[in-house]
Amino acid sequence: MRRILHVDYSLCIGCETCEGVCEFIHHGKPNIRVYYTVTGIPIPITCRHCEKAPCMDVCPSGAIFKDYDGAVIIDPDKCIGCMMCLAVCPFGVPTFDVKLKVMTKCDMCADRRKLGMAPACSEMCPAEAIFFGKPEEIEDEIRRRTAEKIARERMSTIPLEGVGRLP
Amino acid sequence: MKGMNFAFLCREKPEPTGKNVAIIGAGPAGLAAAGYLVCQGHEVHVYDKLPEPGGLMLFGIPEFRIPIYRVRDGCERLENAFGVKFFPRTKVCFGNPHENGDDFVERRIEFEDIVKNYDAVLIATGTWNAYVPTIPGSDLEGVFPALEYLFKIKSAKLGHMDWDKVPPVEGKRVIVIGAGHTAVDAALESVNLGAEKVYLSYRRTIREAPAGAYEINLLQQRGVKWLERTMPVRIIGENGKVRAIELVKTKLSEPDETGRRRPIPIEGSNFQIEVDYVVCAVGQMPTPPFAKDTGIALDRKGRIVVDSRHMTSREGVFAAGDVVLGPSKVGRAVKDGLYAAESLHYWLMEVRE
Repeated sequence: MRRILHVDYSLCIGCETCEGVCEFIHHGKPNIRVYYTVTGIPIPITCRHCEKAPCMDVCPSGAIFKDYDGAVIIDPDKCIGCMMCLAVCPFGVPTFDVKLKVMTKCDMCADRRKLGMAPACSEMCPAEAIFFGKPEEIEDEIRRRTAEKIARERMSTIPLEGVGRLP
Repeated sequence: MKGMNFAFLCREKPEPTGKNVAIIGAGPAGLAAAGYLVCQGHEVHVYDKLPEPGGLMLFGIPEFRIPIYRVRDGCERLENAFGVKFFPRTKVCFGNPHENGDDFVERRIEFEDIVKNYDAVLIATGTWNAYVPTIPGSDLEGVFPALEYLFKIKSAKLGHMDWDKVPPVEGKRVIVIGAGHTAVDAALESVNLGAEKVYLSYRRTIREAPAGAYEINLLQQRGVKWLERTMPVRIIGENGKVRAIELVKTKLSEPDETGRRRPIPIEGSNFQIEVDYVVCAVGQMPTPPFAKDTGIALDRKGRIVVDSRHMTSREGVFAAGDVVLGPSKVGRAVKDGLYAAESLHYWLMEVRE
């Protein structure tokens, strides 16, 4: 079943929770990182798990594959550390691990998904800017979330008692 | 599943270990630590002075940044599915003076009683001591630290406070001092509440603004008047209430040894602006759950000193989040809470690395 991990940049508040939890479960090396651009806008950078992933096409050792959820994963046993995946990645995602001497990147929390759990970043993002699930569900959720955001800004002066899901 | 999943490390509560842990403070650090510790099978009790868990994610940061349900549903899940016990409106203290956010406290518990009754303690009480610069007039009615200002607005939105206890900014003029995230949020909330005019005063320029140029420009688009290179000199009152503020223009010095350009007031450049409220977002200080000596070391900024295990100078008492780091970010508090909880767990189970 195809599942996507989507980061909505317009909803990100730059709090770094995604990076913090990702670092915690990956022994100090986060696969999602928040960058502060010169404008001051924070942008979290992580693997988009492309449908037509350039890294998969270019990898000379065939080390990059897609799993049953559509996650693009690097097999460390096959990786030769040539960094071609990094060269072609539109987002600069793959990282060279100097200890393991292979490229590593986000595997959409493969170990967690095997146990029926969602990627940690999406579970913990306070702003609900990271979505995980079937594409059609996510797309609907993003539109709903954006509508809520617009509405909330517009009716901020009105007490929310009795409105929507608030008690 | 709409809420944050603080117990994201496990699917369900494991077999109990028989150990109990008290967490003081239900903000991002305390909640992340609670999530980790219940996933290890410990009994977790969380004490907080506010009427519901969430800390500044609920009572400080505006809901257009962090949706209320995201925090509320997350805490409910921690309570219902993982058995974390919350003690709201309960302040853990030892000789503490008044701090911001004490409005809802109904019970006080001595810090020493907590230490006595639990196998381990984690302090995650944050930085609730917001200050107002000591300039003439800073004690007038209508002068607020930004934390208190945002706290009242969010408390009313969450249904814990009557709107008549919130400063009625509709149709009024508000000046916010500072250019960090808290200042930006205070200015935006003022605009959203219908303030007639909102000013933002900062002693450096937009390039140095800690919130970043994007946020400042966004505010200007929303009609906020950006007063860069200005500093408050005195607040002018009438019948005990704020009537105006006197600012002085500044110029920036050459970069000092730290690389920062210091603002220097320009003599004779003073000017006044008529305002009804002055909101100061110029910094917050750590608020550990004790004011007297408990054998826990603090540094000169009032932060709790911890070792590499996140343990304080007292065996079995750990600390995490802003009370250790100083004012930071939700994510840094979450991360610190997780690492501290992990260390606490190892210490509790006598795992030695």
